[in-house]
This record gives sequence, C-alpha cells and structure tokens, in this order.
Amino acid sequence: MRRRRDLRFGFALVFRREVGWLRRRPLLLTMTTAIPLAVMALLTLLFSQGLATRLPVAVLDLDRSDLSRSIVRTVDATPDTRVAEYVADMAEGRRLILSGGVHGLLYLPRNLERDMQAGRQPEAVFFYNAQTMTAGNLTLRGVNAAMGTVSAGIRLSLRTAQGTPMEEASASVQPVPVQLAPLFNPTLDYVFFLLAALLPSVLQIIVTTTAAYSVGLDVETPHRLRILRRLGGGLMPAIAGKMLPYTILFLIILGLADTVLFGLLGLPLQGSRLLLVAGAVLFVMACQLAGGLLALLLTPMASAVSIATLVTAPAFGFMGIGFPRFGMNLFSQWWGALLPGTWFLTLRIDQTIRGAPLDLSLRPLLILAAFVIVLSLLVVLRLEGLRRRAEAPARRLAEAVA
Amino acid sequence: MNGIAAVFRNELRRILTLRPVFSVMVLALAVYALLYPQPYRGEALRRTPIAVVDQDQTVASRDLVRRLDASPDVAVASALPDFPAARRAVFAREVSGVLVVPEGFERELLRGMASPLALYADASYFLIYQRVALGVSSVARTVGAEVEARRLVGLGVDPTIATAAVDPLRFTAIPLFNPQEGYGSYVLPAAFVLILQQTLLIGVGLLGTLPGAAGVRCADDGTAMAGPFATVAGKLLAYLALEGVLAPLYLVVLPFLYGIPRLGGLLPTLLFTVPFIVATGALGLVVAAVFRKPLDVQLVMAAVGLPFFFLSGFAWPFEAMPPVARWLAAPVPSTAAIDGFVALGQLGASLWDVRGHVFTLLTLSAVYAAGAVLLEARAQRAQV
Repeated sequence: MRRRRDLRFGFALVFRREVGWLRRRPLLLTMTTAIPLAVMALLTLLFSQGLATRLPVAVLDLDRSDLSRSIVRTVDATPDTRVAEYVADMAEGRRLILSGGVHGLLYLPRNLERDMQAGRQPEAVFFYNAQTMTAGNLTLRGVNAAMGTVSAGIRLSLRTAQGTPMEEASASVQPVPVQLAPLFNPTLDYVFFLLAALLPSVLQIIVTTTAAYSVGLDVETPHRLRILRRLGGGLMPAIAGKMLPYTILFLIILGLADTVLFGLLGLPLQGSRLLLVAGAVLFVMACQLAGGLLALLLTPMASAVSIATLVTAPAFGFMGIGFPRFGMNLFSQWWGALLPGTWFLTLRIDQTIRGAPLDLSLRPLLILAAFVIVLSLLVVLRLEGLRRRAEAPARRLAEAVA
Repeated sequence: MNGIAAVFRNELRRILTLRPVFSVMVLALAVYALLYPQPYRGEALRRTPIAVVDQDQTVASRDLVRRLDASPDVAVASALPDFPAARRAVFAREVSGVLVVPEGFERELLRGMASPLALYADASYFLIYQRVALGVSSVARTVGAEVEARRLVGLGVDPTIATAAVDPLRFTAIPLFNPQEGYGSYVLPAAFVLILQQTLLIGVGLLGTLPGAAGVRCADDGTAMAGPFATVAGKLLAYLALEGVLAPLYLVVLPFLYGIPRLGGLLPTLLFTVPFIVATGALGLVVAAVFRKPLDVQLVMAAVGLPFFFLSGFAWPFEAMPPVARWLAAPVPSTAAIDGFVALGQLGASLWDVRGHVFTLLTLSAVYAAGAVLLEARAQRAQV
C-alpha cells in the first residue's frame, strides 16, 4: 500500500524530496532560515533607535561675548547637535575630529559681537567632517539651523530697535520664505526606509546563492537531473516541486521581517498589499531562477555560487537606495535594471511610504514578471539541452549495437 | 623555522594554483575594482529635476524660475498647470519635487510683505530630498536678500549698510577632507576595505576547507612537518605576502585612479595594513575550522558582507545605534579597519591618532591567532 503511494510521480513527490533534503542538510536549512533571520535581527537592532540625534561638535570661541555664548547655547539646543568640547585652538579641534570624538568644529572669531554691531559682517565658520557623510550632514544641518535662528533674531532686533513695526520686521527677515512640505514620508524617517530596503537586498543575495547551491546539488551528479525529471513526471512539475519549498520559506522570512517593520516599528504602509505580495513572490522566484540557471550553466557548483555572490553582493549600490539611479552613469543604470531587486524595491517604496497610484506600480511588477518568464524559458532550454547531451551517447551506443 | 618556511611556500602555492581560491582572492578583487565604484562615478547629484507650478505668471515669478533652472542643484524639468499633475509626475519618478509659486507672489513682494513659496519635495529618498530642499532654499534666500537690500536702499539707507543689515552675521560651512562632498569619495574608501576583508576571509576559509588543507607532511612517514604554531605563523605570513601586494593597490592606487582625495602619507597606511591582514587572516583560519566545508564558507560569508558594512559605524554612526551594537561590531576586523584606513588616508591622521584602532586590531590578531593555533593543534592530534 505504502509502496504504491511512493511510486506516484509528480510535483508532490519532488516537493517532498526537497523538504527532506532541507531537513537532512543543516547548511541548506541554516542558509534559508537562521542566517536571514539573524541578519535581519541585527540590521533591525542597528537601526532601531532611529536617526542620530545630538551628535557631538566642538567649539572654538575666541570672542567669549554674549553673542558667542548665545550661539553656542543655540547649537547645543538643536536636536541634531550638542556641544561636547570647548577647544583652545584649531590644532586641538583638528585632533578631536581626526580621532572621531566630534564631527565638526565651530569657529567664532575674536570681536564677533563688536564687529556685528558695527555692521562689519563678521563670519562664523563651521568645519565639518564630510568624509563620514551621514554624521557630517546631520551636524551641518544642526549648526546651520542654529545660526539661522541666531541671525534672524539679530536682524529682527536691529529692525525693531530702529522703530520698524514687528510684523514688517519679521517679513523683512526672510522676504521669500520656502514652506517646505515633504511629499510622503512626513516624519522624514529615513532609518526605517533604509531598513526596509536593506532586508530585500540581503534576501536577494541569500536566495540567489542558495538556489545555485540547491540546484547545483542536482546538477553535480549527471543522473540526478534525470531522476528529478522522472520523479516529477515531467519537466514542469519537477522544476516547480524543486523551487516551491524555498519560495515558501523565503516568503515566510520576508513576511516575518515585514511584520516587524510595518507592525512593530510602524513604517507607513500606504499602498496595496496585494501588489506588494505579488511583487515579493515574483522577486523571490526571479532570484531563485537566476541562481538555478547559474548552477545549470556553470560547474562545479562552487563556481555558480561564486558568480551568484559576485553579482548580488555589490548589488545594493546599483539599486539606487543611497545614491539615486538617475544620478548614475549609463552602465550602472542598465546593470541596476537587470537586478530583480531594483524593481522590487521600486515597487516596495511605491506601495509602502509613497502610496503611489496603482497603475504606476504595474510597470515594476510587469518587469519582475518578465524576469520570471525569461529566466524560466532559459532554465527549460538549458535543461532540454543537458538532456539531449546526456542521451546522445546512449543513443549512439544503441544505434551501433543495432 | 624550517616548518614555517615550508608552510609559507605551500600556502602561497595553493593560493596561486587552487582555482576557487585564486578566483576569490585575486580575480574577484579585480572585478570589484571595476564594478563596485560604477554607481558613484557621478559623485554628486546635480540638477535634480523638479516641476514648477507657476500660478503667478509675472516678471518676478518667471525670473525666480529662470534662476532656479540656472542653479547647480536643481533643474526645472517641466512647468505644469496644477498641483495634482505635478504630484503624479513625482509618483512616476519624472521629477523629484514640485515648487508652487502662488498667485500674488510679485504683488506681496512689491507690498513689502513676506511672499512665501511652497516646495513639495520627494522625501522618500534622503539624498534627493536634501538636494532639492537645499537648492530651492538657497535660491529663495538669495532672491530674498536682494529684495530686502533693494527695499532698504529705497528707504534711503546707504547701500553698504543695507547689505550688512540683510546679513549681519555671515556663516560659512567648510567641508573638511571630502571637499566636493562626493558620494563616491565617501563610500568607496570604506567599501574597498570591506571588499578586501571579505575576499580574504572567503579565500582563507576555502584554503582551510579544500583538499590539501592538512598541511605539509614529511615524505617518509606522513607526519606534519610543522607544529600548530608554525603552521598558523606560516599561513599568516603567506597571506601577508599576498595582501602586501594587493592591499596597497586596493587602498592607495585604486582610490587615486578614481580621483578620491587623499591627505595621508603612504607609510602609515602600509603599516596599518599589517594588523588588519593578520587579524582578518587569523579570523579566516578560525572560520575554516568552524565551517569545515568550502561551500559553507562561501554561502555564509556572502550573506554577512552587507551587515558587516553597516555594523562598522561608517555609513551609520555608532551614536545612532544601541550600545550593544558596539560590542557586536568590535570582533569584526573591518569595524576598526574602515575607520582607521579612512582616518589615515582621507583625513590625514597619524598612526598615533588611530592608536585605538591599532590596539583593537592587534588584540583581534592575537585572539584569533591563538584560536587558530588551538584549533590546528586539535586537528593535528585528530590526524595522528
């Protein structure tokens, strides 16, 4: 009775065989569950505190006047910066920046207050470390805002002292104010945005390399591919049964990560969940097919895994999360366009923080679908080619005997 | 001493002859050198496209739009009739912001009142938002200052005093070390260190797990020619010899070819390379002993590269991370190495300035090398 059931070839048999492999091969199981979850937990931990606040800056105050002290107080009061050190000269400030103790040095020259009152337009200078861009830009933003506040206050008091009415005086402080309204992402929270983009990037690496590995296990021994085909009772059920266990696993992993992101951390989810899920399924499948194709084309399997790593590991930069794609050279734009992650992230950003109209998000979804179709065709063609090559000697032998 | 030399020669020969190892440690480095920097070749975002909805259509509003288009940060890509159309253009990623010049813009200016502009910037990408906001506000500030100075002169104030009254306290921000604030100049020096670390880790991991890893043996009785200590020392020296050639190419020559500014001297960088390579190589030996199979090394190391980069505190400052992150980051050589190499090369720091990082790398070298010796001793006992 049991034997008969085991002999029923088809999709389910291949599926069960793959699940059995997963259970027996600790590496495969670790790569598909523990590692992605650990990486995601680590990244979530790193970004869990939100944007950096109160970054340390140093002050070189040569004036020691009411004005200079009020500047220092204002800089210390911004959410971005805090005055961590008072230095006696530039050399000390430079040393502090080099050792990473502070991110910038605010220089307030001698006679700042006197020159300002005399209308000589003295200059305060902020030297900041632009090499570490995130921290450098944040401190610059803080000091810039503080100086703007102080300067506006001075101009206002200069005018009211001359007898200008308050309303007119405040209009003259900034005749053309810019009312800045962020479209989407109203809290300007880039931290979780970055996190939401990093997780699929890590998954792209893991899915592609493990697919190359699991398919490679079948390619390495010549008869295994034939067995797989027989077990599946055809090419399509065999491929589907081979892929599906991983597709399900990775989608569960992504689902878990997104539950934490959108549920616990409260990242805005303003789009269509259906589109997001459809995109995730196509993205995972495209990565699997790409890894599988590499394993079918390259032997030994280690080479396939190496090439998969070589392409996916530096992919983050090409997907335009840090530096946008329209600012890249043509090569990088095309290279990025050939990565499934680029389109999944486009769709993800559109349908989470942007809440873009659905028709605009169909394009990345269709591109992902095209990836899946083209890669499937290539996989089928390659499998057919491998089969013909494997059968040719056998046939020749049969013909020779005949 | 004989043992060390034999292990050294054997390991170097294996690096150059084992195809997977050579591919990772040399070929992959070459590919990354060409591929990785490509997205950042443009360095900075220039002329980010925005749309303008000019509801005023006056001389003043048109002048403002012209000046915006002439500014280096933003480009006026389209003039659209209403806000919904412009918003859709942002959704379609055709433009990255919408500037609305309200009706009555010129009239308010002429009346001596504040005449606000409304800027709706795409805030889903940090760099874009920053550029658009900065570009538009600086043009608005310049226009505003001119308007204000004209008003004061019109009231009979002396022109020099009028200029001073508009801007009584000047403020200049000077970027140190990366004067053009280039994105590539920021990312690449750090990324190159990480690429070196990952290729070395994978390479050493493969060397320790591929056939022939058991080491050099005497021809007659098959016993190991070198003890555990000599084996580890010989291997580490082999990695130093190889990376002694590759690391300067990667950390000095390559950044130079990509035009990344460098202030530091050559010698401190070269000296700093030594503890970095030893720590990474010794960690690789431990990794090899733990994972045991070449594919395990390849797959796991591929997955941890990106997290290592963010863990290093370079792209994302430690001040913004929970304290436990520092503890998790410290055992990874790239954490101290990235900060140290960038300080020595791009910031022009001395070795004394980065002594903390030197100390960290030396400690890591000692701990991992000791671990590697213990694991090697166990492996040799198991073979006897």
